[in-house]
This record gives sequence, structure tokens and C-alpha cells, in this order.
Amino acid sequence: MHKLKVTKMQVIASVLIAVLAVITGGLGLYGLNSRISQDGEALLENMRLQAILNTAGSGAVDAYVAAEKAAATAKAREAGGGMSAVREASAKAEEEALAKAAELGIGAVDLSSIDTAPLGDALGVLAAAQQVYFAEEAAAQAAYVEEHADEAEAVVEDDAAEAVSADDDGSDSMDMEIEEETVDLSGFVATEEMNRLAAEVDEAYLGLCEQLKVVFPALTDDVLTSLKATITGIVAQQGDTFESQYDRAYAASGLNPGLSGTIMRQGRTLALSAVGLLILAAAVLLYIPLVEKMGVPRLIIGLFFILLCLLAMILGLSLPTQLSNTLVRLGMNGVLVLAMLPGIQCGISLNLGLPIGIIGGLIGGLLCIELGMTGFTGLFFAIAVGLVISAVTGWLYGMLLNRLKGDEMSVTTYVGFSIVSLMCIAWLVLPFKSPVMKWPLGNGLRTTIGLQSAYKHVLNDFLSFKVLGITIPTGLLLFFALCCFLMWLFMRSKTGIAMSAAGANPRFASATGINVDKMRIIGTTLSTMLAAVGIIVYGQSYGFMQLYQAPRQMGFLAASAILIGGATTSRAKISHVIVGTFLFQGVLTLGMPVANALVPQSTISETLRILISNGIILYALTKSGGATRG
Amino acid sequence: MDKNKLREGARNNIVTIMFIVLCAVCMVFSGYTPNYVLYELFSRLSRNMFIVLSLIIPIVAGMGINFAITIGAMAAQIACILVLEWGVSGFAGLSLAALLTVPLGGFFGFFIGKVLNKMKGQEMIGGLILGYFANGLYQLLCLFIFDNIIPINNPNLTIKGSKGIANTIDLSREDGFAGTLEKLWRLPVHQAALVFVAVIALILVISYVRSHRRNAKVLGIQLAVLVIVAAVAQLAPVKALFSMVQVPMATFGLVALLCLFNVVLMRTRLGQQFRAVGQNRTVANAAGINVDRVRVIAIMISTVFAGWGQLVFVQNMGSFQTYGAHEQVGLYAGAAILVGGASVMRATNTQALVGTVLFHLMFILAPAAGKNLFGDAAIGEYFRVFMCYGVIAVALVMHAWSENAKKKNPSSALRTNAKA
Repeated sequence: MHKLKVTKMQVIASVLIAVLAVITGGLGLYGLNSRISQDGEALLENMRLQAILNTAGSGAVDAYVAAEKAAATAKAREAGGGMSAVREASAKAEEEALAKAAELGIGAVDLSSIDTAPLGDALGVLAAAQQVYFAEEAAAQAAYVEEHADEAEAVVEDDAAEAVSADDDGSDSMDMEIEEETVDLSGFVATEEMNRLAAEVDEAYLGLCEQLKVVFPALTDDVLTSLKATITGIVAQQGDTFESQYDRAYAASGLNPGLSGTIMRQGRTLALSAVGLLILAAAVLLYIPLVEKMGVPRLIIGLFFILLCLLAMILGLSLPTQLSNTLVRLGMNGVLVLAMLPGIQCGISLNLGLPIGIIGGLIGGLLCIELGMTGFTGLFFAIAVGLVISAVTGWLYGMLLNRLKGDEMSVTTYVGFSIVSLMCIAWLVLPFKSPVMKWPLGNGLRTTIGLQSAYKHVLNDFLSFKVLGITIPTGLLLFFALCCFLMWLFMRSKTGIAMSAAGANPRFASATGINVDKMRIIGTTLSTMLAAVGIIVYGQSYGFMQLYQAPRQMGFLAASAILIGGATTSRAKISHVIVGTFLFQGVLTLGMPVANALVPQSTISETLRILISNGIILYALTKSGGATRG
Repeated sequence: MDKNKLREGARNNIVTIMFIVLCAVCMVFSGYTPNYVLYELFSRLSRNMFIVLSLIIPIVAGMGINFAITIGAMAAQIACILVLEWGVSGFAGLSLAALLTVPLGGFFGFFIGKVLNKMKGQEMIGGLILGYFANGLYQLLCLFIFDNIIPINNPNLTIKGSKGIANTIDLSREDGFAGTLEKLWRLPVHQAALVFVAVIALILVISYVRSHRRNAKVLGIQLAVLVIVAAVAQLAPVKALFSMVQVPMATFGLVALLCLFNVVLMRTRLGQQFRAVGQNRTVANAAGINVDRVRVIAIMISTVFAGWGQLVFVQNMGSFQTYGAHEQVGLYAGAAILVGGASVMRATNTQALVGTVLFHLMFILAPAAGKNLFGDAAIGEYFRVFMCYGVIAVALVMHAWSENAKKKNPSSALRTNAKA
């Protein structure tokens, strides 16, 4: 075993970070531990009690003042005063009563000065009843959501179709979001069980009221009824965690929970930070071998991905949901990224002319809708048509590229761009008839075409199942795996090896009798055909087909994904495709909710996407050579 | 012999000729009056010519079309935002913005040059992606640094009810500097022609006096052409044709100055270095030129000029889209210079100017022609976008093609080998 390459500075830094990690971790674990022990319960109860006393106290003052005011008004009226006199008397009484209430201490009760045991017991009963109620409510609502999920899907589709058709200016920014399908709960009716539990809650509240009246004699039933929503709101809410209960009680009570309380509150954050710090320490210690193995950008993006995961957990975002989204996106974009592979291997570098193949796939999809095919038949028909068209265009494209060796990337970019804009005209004039695709008014096809009538989600839903809260889109992943496997087989075939050789060293390859030009055409055609398949898979997962300017930037996104996976502009492997797509899409999926939680209403995740995707391409280009002065 | 020459000339300028034909066809079908087209054309030329000229130096230095001029445009927009924030208005504001653009553009240009030096031979795609990348940084600056970390006190600059710089920056308020250049001095075309002819004649005479080879014949022909141009501009039908046009002398004066700068620079030592590096880096290096440094300088100059070009553009328009105004700058300028007959290796002032005229002529005419021919203005719109990309694609393909042909041709094998 060879020695690890580590400098002294690295050791010191990583030890420091590790010590820090141990401290935060210890504090965090202590916090988490004391949360579930008596201390946590006691702390919460204490704060909750104070909060309720505060609320009830102000209620008591209100009640006292109201009573005094009513008395004064009645007195003034009896004395036969006019309206103004009555109003004056009432105002005066209010002032006096407020002063008196403060003086008597009607609203302010110190926890230490009274016997809190009966009050605490009543509160405990209420809290327990409420928790049971909310658990039942959550279950009932979940069942309702399950039942009505299809409707929500339809609503989301309509919304998205409207939203997309609204911005028809052909802007570059692509809508990468997968909309959450939320069920409208307005039609939800409480179940019998819930009603019964609600009655129990009411009963418990009445018990609490009795105790409160003992503490605040000024409280009346009316005031207590009006305070019910506030008090029960403080005690428990649906989907409560320790943090949310703590925050609520803290805000309402104004009690200082002390250092141990704060540690309890931040327990999870501290523990997760410790995990992050430990990983950082390991990364610092193993920096040199890691960089050798992964390269700086992939290391940064990998660490960034871990950071995002931890942040998502700290911010209380549902990590399983995000991971399922990432999985969906992996399958959704995977084939498009895979299309980069034969291009790189055959020597045309990054195939930024991917839109040429994408257009073939789009035509396949359009034909499928036009002919009214649905489900798997539609999907495979679209793929078949896409393959045929892109095989022809890819072959022509390969012939073009053979005449401009060495300049492929800039040429392919602009050839792709110009074909996309040429197709914009084609989308306007092609004689498609289906009303799903055409603008209701005016000429041409819609910018975004919904696929629900064709092959939306057929792969996503095929054999999909849930595990640990993560939905696995089995069909989609299987399809991606199949594509990868076929590519792997091809790369090991005679032609595949010859193609890689032609890409790696054209002169040597032609000396050994390989027809380099032919291999380049094969690689380019394969890449273009995979792009056609890729966009169909993308569309079936996304639910929409995007025409006009949308395919323009897809080449860049696929290129950045494979580069993040560790490919260079001249060498790539299947593992680069899978790792790269997962990391890139993972960062994008996690980045958006995390960024929105940190900076609400911001577009920082879009900015992040631009920076990551173009930064990695730039990095790869700087590594591709030309560092010499000559 | 003459016929061959003609054929070769036609082949070298195929894009230009195609564009002339296209413009003529569009002109016929657009249904616009020549007066209106000329009016539109002049207002577009005044704001777009400058930035196209900023592409010349990198082309001469062998770096292809500098698509990273979008970054220069960003520098200018940052300068605009700062000047508006400081409340400097009118001509002083424009001058301050121009002044600010120099360090900003130079700084950015330095980095662009450094990065492009690491990807020699891939400068164009590199520049394009650098532009995209810088756009991300620019968004970061405008949305999350300005108004959050650096306070912005001018309420017109920020998004209402949120943080960050607003989508549209309006320069036409009293605190802005919209149209300052145009307001300086406007003349009808026939007078403007006289002024420009006089200035050009003066320059020609001066350069004749200072030159070593005094070629009186050439000077005579040049002066005669100028006189004829000036005379034609005075004719009544020509005057009628340009009746709607008021030439903003300051803007075109700046364009003329930049052309002159390009010509003069090419005669200096630095200009010779640009050319040497552009022709062959290896030879230039062997001749003792610091190739990397020369390339960085070329990009820095180009970036600053592009920034000034964007300033000219935005002050003419009176407002700009903070997050979109710079995005297409590289595309339009690159397409324009290529339309004029430039290649990715060779470009002159004339090509840039002719290209801008033709390109914007088509921009004006295509939507109307599309509407009249196909009954849909959108077709014309998409057609002109297609032409932008198509022109660049064709130019790149033809360049790569001829390079490959050279490689196969044994007579020039030595040169190419040396290059590799």
C-alpha cells in the first residue's frame, strides 16, 4: 500500500475541523437526547404554560376592562347624559381600568408564585387530545389526497400549459421545474373519527378553562371561547415537530429558555453540521488523492451536493421527495447525456449539435400525436420515427463534420442553432391537424404541447414503487439502464473499439487500417439518434414537448452533465454519464428548494444552473489543450 | 483572367452577395417606402455600428469572432447602473459611464484573454460559453449583491417590493442620459455628407503628405470619388429620399474615430504584433513576440470598445433590459461583420460597416416581407434569427473547410504543421 500524500497543513486543518465537528456533534447529540428525555418535555411544557398564561392574562385584562367599561357606561346612561357624555365616561373608565389592571396584576401571573400542577395537568390532557386529533386528521387528509391525485395532475397540467403558452417570446431560459401536484383540500370533509376526537379536544379545553379561571378570576367564558383558537394553536398543530412547537411557544411566552434550551432547539442543525464538518475534514485530509481521482470541479460539485443534502435536512425539506425528483430527472436526462458519449469517443468532441437529433425526436412525437397513438405503442412509434429521421440527419451531419476536423465545436454549435431556428419556421408551416398541437387561433404549432393524450409518464409509471418514501420510477430507470447497457455492448464490439481508436488517435487508427471518416460518421449518427430517443424520454417524463427555441440549449446541458461526471472533451465512459447526470440533476433539484428556503422568492437557483453548467464546460475547454504559447 | 478574378471575388463574398439579393427581394415584398426604410436604417446604424467595429482587432489577432463582447456590454451596463445611482445625468453622466467602462471592461477583458489563452483554437466557442458564464455572474451581481450587500439608493433602479436591480433601466428620466450623443449635433443628410467628405479628404491629404510613397494618382481618384459622393448627396431626388433622416453627427463621428483608430493602430508596433500573432503564433513566438500578452491586449481593447458600443446603444434606445440587453450582442455583431464579407481570420472596417448596413436592412425588412409573403410576421422574425445563426454557421464551415483543404494541400503543409 502506497503512502498517502498529505501535507502538514492539511493534517492540522483537518484535525481542527474534526475537533470542531466532534464538539458540534456532541452538543447536537446532547440536544437531541435531552429533547426526548424529561428535560425536553419539561422545557416545552414550561414555555407552553407561560405562553398560555400570557394569552389568558391579556384575555383577563380585556375581560376586566370590558366589565368596568360596561359598568361605567351604564352608570353614565343612568345619570341621563347624552351620547358624548356616555362616550367620554366609557373612555375614561377604559383608561382607569387598564391602569388598575396593571396595578392589581390581573393579567400578569408569575409561574413561580402559583401552583401550576392542576393547570399543567389540564394542559397535558389538551395537548394529548390535540395530538391524537391531528394525527387522525393527517391520515384522513392523506387518504383524501390519494383518492384525488388524478384530478390534481390534470389541474397542474392545465396550469403549466397556460403558464408556458403565456411566455411565447422564445426566451433562452428553460423551465426546468417539475411542478408539485398538490391536491386542493377545499373539498375535504372531516370524518366521524375526527369529529369524535374534536369533541374530546373541546372537552379538554374546557378542563383547561376551569384551571385558568382559578388563576385569573377576571376571565369570562366569552373571552375564553374567543381565545380558543389562539390557545389550541399554541398547544399543538398538525405535523408538529420539536422545532415548530418550540418556536411557537418561544414566540408567545417570551421566556428565555437558556443555553440548554437553545441547544435542544438547534440539536438537529448541530448534529447535521457535525456530519458536514466531518466530511469536510476527510476531504481536506484526502485532498490530493481525491483531486487526482476526480478533478477539482467534480470534487467541488460533489461536496456541494452533500452540502445541499444536509441543508435540505436542516431546513426540514423532505429529502425523500427531493431524491425521488432527482431519480426522475436522472432517467429523464440520462439518455440525452448518453448521446454525448459516442460523439466524444469518435473524436468530434462535445456534440453541441445535439438539437439536430432532438428535432428528429420531436417530429416523431408530433407524428405520434397526429396519428392519435397512445401509451407504449405511441412511445415506441415516436422513438422509431425519431430514430429514422435522426439517422438520416445524423449521417449527413457526420459527413459535414468530416470536412471540418478540428473545428467541430464552434461549428456544431452554430449549425445546431441555425437548424433550431430554421425549424421554428417549419413548426409554423408544417401541415399538422391535431387540435392538441395547434394554436386555437392563428398558425402553427403550440410552443408547448401536452403529452397526456399520448405517452405521458408511461415509462415513469411502469412498475414504479415506493421505498423509504422515495418513489422509484422503475420503467424510466430500466429504459435508461437498457440504453447504457446497449452502449456498453457497442463500445466493446469491434466497431465500437475501432471508433474509440479513431477518436483517440486518428493517425494511428488509419495506419492500422481503420476507416477514420467512417467511424466518425458512425459516432455522430449514433449520437444524433440517441438525442432523438433522449428527447422523447425527456418529454414523456416532463409531460410536455417543447418546440421552437427550447432545444437550443439542450446540447450545453447534456455536455455539462457528462463533464461533471468526469469526462473530458476527448474521453468519456458510461460511468461518467450516470455519475454526471445524477450529480448535475441532483444539485439542480435540491438547489431550488434550498435556495428558496434560504432566500425566498429568488431566482438564485437559475443563476446557479447557469454558473455550474457553463463553468464546467469552460473548465473542460481549458483542459483540452492550447496551453502552449505557440 | 479577368473572369477568373471575378469568379474568385464572387466566391469569397458569397455571403455578402446573397445578402444583397435577399435584401432586394425583401425590399420588394415588404411594401415599405424607401424613405421609411432609410429612416429606420439610419437610426439602427447609429446605435449598432460601433460595437461591430469592436470585433475587428481580435479577428486580426487570430482569435476569431470575439463572442465574449457580451461581457463588455455587461461592463457598460454595470457602469450605467452605477452612474444612475450616483445621480450624474446628461453628458457628464455619459462621459462618466464611458470612463467607468474602461477599467471595468479592461479588467474583464484581462480575464477573458487569460482564459482564452488556455483554449487556443477554441476561442470562439470558449468566448460564447464565457459569455454565458459571465451572464450568471452578472445576474448574481445585479440580483444578490447590488441592493443587498452594496446598497442602491435610487428607487428607480431597484425591483419594487423585492431586492435587486429592476428589469428595465430607464435612462430617459431627468437623471438619465438618454440621447445625449444624438442631441449634440444633428444634420440632414446632404449637409452631413459634406462634413464627412471634408473630414475624410483632410485625412487623406494629411496621410498623403506624411507617406513615403506619394501616389498622387490614387489620391486623385479618392478625392474625386469623395467629391462625387458629396455632389450626389446634394441632388434633389437624393435629398427627397433622405428627407426623414437626421444624421446624429456625434454618433457617426465616434464610429469614424474608431475606424481611424483601427487603421492607425494597425500601423503601430502593437498592430503589427496583432497581425503577426494572427497569421502564425509559432512564428510570432519565435520572432520574440509575447503571444499570450498580445492576445490578452487584443481582447482587452475589444472588450472596452464593446462596452462603449453598448453605451452608445443604450443611450440611443433610452432604456435597457438589465438581464437581456447584452445577451444577443455577440450574435448580432458577429453576424453583421460576417455579412460584410469578413471571415474569422480577416476583417476590415469597410466589411464591418457594409455588413452592419446589410444586416440591419434585413432586420427591418424581413418581418414585413414575411407577413406579406406568407401572411405571418412570425415567419419573418424566425427567418431573421435563422439568418443570424446561419450566416455565422456558414462562415465557420467555410473557414474550417478551407483550413482543412490547406492541410491536405502539401504545398502549405509546412505552415500548418508549424501551427499544430
